Amino acid sequence: MNLISVCINHHTAPVDAREALFLKEEEIRNFINEIKGTILTEGLVISTCNRTEIYGLPANQNINSQTVQNFLLQYKAKQTFNTEYFQHFFSRPALEHLFGVAAGIDSMLIGDNQIFKQVKESIEISDETRFTGFLTRKIFDAAIKAGKRAISETEISEGAVTVSYAAVQLIEKIFSTLGKKSALVIGAGETGEIAAKHLSERGIGKLAITNRTTEKAEKLAGKLNGKIIPFTSLKDYLHEYDVIISATSADNLILTKQDIESAMKKRSNASLVLMDIAVPRDIDPSSSELNYVFYHDLDSLNIIVEQNLEKRKKEIPKVKSIIDDEITSFLAWYDSLEAAPTIKTLHDHFETIRREEVEKNVNKFTKEDREKLEILTKRIVNKLLHNPTVELKKNNDAGIGADESAMRISIIRELFGIDKKNNND
Amino acid sequence: MISFIDFLNNLLPFLYIITFSAYSFDFIKAGKRHFEFARLSLFTTLLIHLIYLLSRTAEFNHPPITNVFEIFTILAFSVSFSYFLLELATDIRGTGPFIIILSIIFQIISSIFIEDLTEVKEVLRNNLLGSHVFTALLGYSGITISAVYGFLYLLLYKDIKLNRFGLIFNKLPSLEVLEKLSFYSAVIGFILLSIAMTIGVIWLPKAFPDFSYSDPKLISSAIVWLLYGLGILSKVFGKWRGKKVIVLSIVGFILAIMSTMLSNFVAQSFHSFY
Repeated sequence: MNLISVCINHHTAPVDAREALFLKEEEIRNFINEIKGTILTEGLVISTCNRTEIYGLPANQNINSQTVQNFLLQYKAKQTFNTEYFQHFFSRPALEHLFGVAAGIDSMLIGDNQIFKQVKESIEISDETRFTGFLTRKIFDAAIKAGKRAISETEISEGAVTVSYAAVQLIEKIFSTLGKKSALVIGAGETGEIAAKHLSERGIGKLAITNRTTEKAEKLAGKLNGKIIPFTSLKDYLHEYDVIISATSADNLILTKQDIESAMKKRSNASLVLMDIAVPRDIDPSSSELNYVFYHDLDSLNIIVEQNLEKRKKEIPKVKSIIDDEITSFLAWYDSLEAAPTIKTLHDHFETIRREEVEKNVNKFTKEDREKLEILTKRIVNKLLHNPTVELKKNNDAGIGADESAMRISIIRELFGIDKKNNND
Repeated sequence: MISFIDFLNNLLPFLYIITFSAYSFDFIKAGKRHFEFARLSLFTTLLIHLIYLLSRTAEFNHPPITNVFEIFTILAFSVSFSYFLLELATDIRGTGPFIIILSIIFQIISSIFIEDLTEVKEVLRNNLLGSHVFTALLGYSGITISAVYGFLYLLLYKDIKLNRFGLIFNKLPSLEVLEKLSFYSAVIGFILLSIAMTIGVIWLPKAFPDFSYSDPKLISSAIVWLLYGLGILSKVFGKWRGKKVIVLSIVGFILAIMSTMLSNFVAQSFHSFY
């Protein structure tokens, strides 16, 4: 099959190159409108912060992946680009790459679920812009199936692989339901914001934000429906929270062991989780010596991240095997769309029906007529099959594209129930 | 019939070992199919164990509570049965091997030493005694399970504190869940022990007119009961939590075991029937 693909991603290119070729949704739609029909008949464009990849069936025999690459550079980069940043795939390797991307094994964070959603969204754009054709529809369905199977049948997406998620995973090992717990996030910078978002997504009962600059805290609290605690009187509120995540850029400790000790007394020693994800640290590490205080910093969270990444890497062979299954099954379907085998199968199918009917009714004819019956029924079958056979043979003509050819064959196979019959056999 | 009972008696330790292996495999691998197999294995084992207990009762004309090895087989059953109910009610995973192993120990000891008794002391045929023993055994199952969950709580608590994120961290439920399971099992155990002791106090003067309140079994049981009562009250009124209650539960369990051994094998007590 003549699927081509051009890819630039985190394996091949630095971030500035990826940024230069990143396509927003609107740009993808315009790109498709321009490339459709002239260069590719059908296809898919995936663009995320880590990759921009184009897959498709060439509009004619003179077009290859280099043509698509040139078109992309002309469309978006408008500058000279290191050609080594690009990967080119053709036929089965193109399928393997797409399926690997959908299954998350090509991601920077192996098993990242995000890419699966992004691939599905890209397919939706192809559908909406009518860039999905008969063949690519089947390819996309198989890619999504491979992605789903990878998630459900392996542990490729199990466990936290970012520090913020590891913090949430750890908190959930201490408290059973976050819905009844309260959390305070100190610092409304990028790290603090991610941590607050994760807690909010996991359904934390009460969320509060504090920050040296109140405006920033207000902005984040507004986004996440949280409460604001004045930074200057932060220590007066510590005891009210079950989880404290600190992610400021302060040079010195914000909370001492004594602060935590006094909060614990006010809490009657109810468990308190301290997540210090700041560099340098915000909370005195010796707080971990206190009973029912679970203090963790970046180092300890990184242990969880590393362990989970290692586990995910071990799942890659299983995912590859799923991809292999899906590609084999897709190619088996694709091969069945060849004209010659279809003509033979069609003739065999009709001959079987003819023979069965003759055998059933042969006793209704005299011995002399039986030979005539054979000749007559064979002639009828041949006449019935004449036109479909001629039409199928036209598939090899130059004017008929791979997509149209595949569709014609698929319709014939479906109309006469050839595959169903074969499966039942 | 006796050969059938003997067959089940020999079979039960193996069934508990298979169930334990299934739960251990699920603990390490954590696959849905492994868990379903483990649960099915436990259910089958409990069903066969129940048939065994009923067969013994019918064949020997008394419930299997007349000697320490009969009691061990009931203890093996009630510990696993209590866990089975807990698992169905909470859908908790990852703690099965730690409970089932106790049933293996109790059942192996029972299977090796149990005898086919048809003649038992008249005092052991009393209905009140039957209720006393059954409630006491279920109570002991409760405090056994409470101690196991308490022990797991301590393991996980230590691992989290020391940044050890291995099997224990990955497979056990949260500390809060373990604490709750330990506490609720202790409460159920305490209630059943209270009922057992009340029945015992009613039945005791009738069965043994010359008993003494300074009997070691009575004193040690009272201490265990008081200990659990104090722990539960402290927790309910919010004075104690976490490790303190759990350590108390484990100490209570150890005392309960020691009290049983002391009264049955060492000290001279009216409770030494065997």
